[in-house]
Amino acid sequence: MFTRFTDRSRTSVEAAFDEARMLGHDSLGDEDLLLGILRADEGIAAEALSSLGVTLEDAREESEEMLSDALSSIGISLEGVRTEAGEAFDMRIPDNRRIPYSPMAKKTLVGARKEMRRLGDNSLGTEHVLLGILGNADGMAVRMLARMGIAPETLKERLFEVCGRAAG
Amino acid sequence: MNEKTRTRVGGPEDPREGLEAVVALRRTLEALEAAQVENAIVAGWSWARIAEVLGVSKQAVHKKHARRIRERYPGRPPGRKGWGR
Repeated sequence: MFTRFTDRSRTSVEAAFDEARMLGHDSLGDEDLLLGILRADEGIAAEALSSLGVTLEDAREESEEMLSDALSSIGISLEGVRTEAGEAFDMRIPDNRRIPYSPMAKKTLVGARKEMRRLGDNSLGTEHVLLGILGNADGMAVRMLARMGIAPETLKERLFEVCGRAAG
Repeated sequence: MNEKTRTRVGGPEDPREGLEAVVALRRTLEALEAAQVENAIVAGWSWARIAEVLGVSKQAVHKKHARRIRERYPGRPPGRKGWGR
């Protein structure tokens, strides 16, 4: 899975699993890969994201808000559940439970590898992971970014600016 | 059938929205179960009594929750004496 990954992109995927568990995601989603990039806070992708004002805190909050909105759509109040259950309520996945990659996350990493080849690069960095994320228009990450006011095209352009090469 | 009726009867119009609500509910349900089992243990309930209400075997509820609760309350074995208010 991690063949040709740089240390940074490997770290970002490990951080993504941490983020997923913390938010109660029972599988690693493409939005968690985005959180992982922000959490690792190094590399071209994190630089492009932060230059557009996307922070780890904002992204975490947005993810929780998307969960809350999804529950609202079927008439359930997350706040209500939280209040009813009291202090013991914690979305976090217990440490003894392993979580798998979601199909969307796998698709994202396959896309990242394709981006690496397309750009003629030899190693898979966080910028390729981010391009893989942006390639999934249906993914949670792209919709999460849209809710934060970031269009995929804008982020892509910024990414190539930071890389110092023409968008393509 | 007008637009409004269809929305109400069939749930959200976008299948994605409906499916994502299922995911959100599943994750919330897991957290709620964990919290309420913990609350019951803290209130002094036995695993057997909790399992009976949940409609599952004692082994199943213990296997799923005991370790997490033990780790949250070091030094106080769940489901034994010393719990309860």
